[in-house]
Amino acid sequence: MAQRSTFWSTLTEPLVRQNPVTLQILGICSALAVTTSLATALTMSASLTAVLTLAAGLISVIRNHIPGTIRLIVQIVIIASLVIVIDQILQAYFAEISRALSVYVGLITTNCLVLGRTEAYATHNPPGRSMVDALGNGLGYSLVLLVIGGVRELFGKGELMGQQVLPLVEQGGWFTPLSLMLLPPAAFFLLGLLVWAIRTVQPEQAEAPEHSPPLAREGEE
Amino acid sequence: MTRGLWDRETVALMLIAAYLPLAAMWLRYGGVAAALDFVAILLVLAGWQLVFLLVRAQAPSLSAIASALAIAMLMPEELGPLRVILGVSFGTVMGELVFGGWGRNVVHPATIALAFLGFGFPGFDWPDILLPAAWAAIPAGLIGVVAGIMPWPVIAGAVLIGAGGVALGFDLNAVLPAAALVLVLLVADPVTSAATTLGRWLNGLLYGFLVILFATGWNGAAPVQIAVSAALLATLAAPVLDEAAIALWRANRRRRHGKP
Repeated sequence: MAQRSTFWSTLTEPLVRQNPVTLQILGICSALAVTTSLATALTMSASLTAVLTLAAGLISVIRNHIPGTIRLIVQIVIIASLVIVIDQILQAYFAEISRALSVYVGLITTNCLVLGRTEAYATHNPPGRSMVDALGNGLGYSLVLLVIGGVRELFGKGELMGQQVLPLVEQGGWFTPLSLMLLPPAAFFLLGLLVWAIRTVQPEQAEAPEHSPPLAREGEE
Repeated sequence: MTRGLWDRETVALMLIAAYLPLAAMWLRYGGVAAALDFVAILLVLAGWQLVFLLVRAQAPSLSAIASALAIAMLMPEELGPLRVILGVSFGTVMGELVFGGWGRNVVHPATIALAFLGFGFPGFDWPDILLPAAWAAIPAGLIGVVAGIMPWPVIAGAVLIGAGGVALGFDLNAVLPAAALVLVLLVADPVTSAATTLGRWLNGLLYGFLVILFATGWNGAAPVQIAVSAALLATLAAPVLDEAAIALWRANRRRRHGKP
């Protein structure tokens, strides 16, 4: 029972409380680049979660045999092999989405989130726990991507997963697309607002201020 | 006497005083519709200031009047209330209030609101600048400089490069009114322009240069769009220009005195 609860907390901690994107600000380059629509965000989330979970399992299995000096190279080789497999699957079955994601699937290899979890967790923990931790982090990443991707597609085009949700003005409805949402700056400020909202609800996530404002002393300006 | 008199709100009041000629000319030609726009935007700004006063204990500032005037004069036409409220809210919250209120912001809230409205809703036309309002930018700038609340090197730098551009034969007649208005309303802001003398010169020069660049090379852009884009980029560059000016000063000092 105790074992199960640690598994459960390892899985759920990274969803919000230890979310890799909003707390540790890892993996945001892909999070910002692929969130113009919900479909690409979903595909990217699934790909990254699969790669991360499998890589964590494989690395954890051989963690005691990897020489410390070349461990990063070994990890990158394993991750890159998995990414190639995922990329080929996407090209074979989801050709259109694969084109929309362009280089970003390939760049999962260098995603700091993947390397960070395998380096920090999988090299020190048994396979089962490593994979649960990787799955939790992948889901935490996916959650952020889906929220931002959903908001951007909904307000940028009035669609969700390509289906018209808000009726457009030119089709007799009332909604004018906010095309700014499809431009890169929108991803930045949506992520900023999301981080702000989460840290308002969970103030312990906020960083300590780097300096405090000087206080005016009595009898001075 | 001046020591106890000048605080943040004095600066805000002087800024409003400097904008009075502009506001008078704009209301004279814009009429009741323009005044209603201004009041509506001011209400949105005041609402957000109230929210941040209650939630974060940030003192409200009269500078909202200056921001509201800038947005009302320069925003795209016929946007409809919902979009204006969205854009103004975004500009004032993300551009000013999250930094701790007026005086601590790094970008002008009106610049952010205008950029949001302009680039977020590209289908709407930017306003034509009335020539009398553009001429009123001159007394506004003069009052601001004489009162010491607008950095004169910024204005001087922009005017200098504008005059240079005209002398070199660039066709700037279309953008000059909008550029002058934006210079006074957004670029020469006491908070968000550069803070060192050299940085201010560079800030003004950069703004003028960007206006000329956009005016000659950006096809299909409205004059106000050109000026607001140039103001946005010049404002964003201001801290870098300050940093460069300070680095230069330190290098000179090290060369003269041999000490770091």
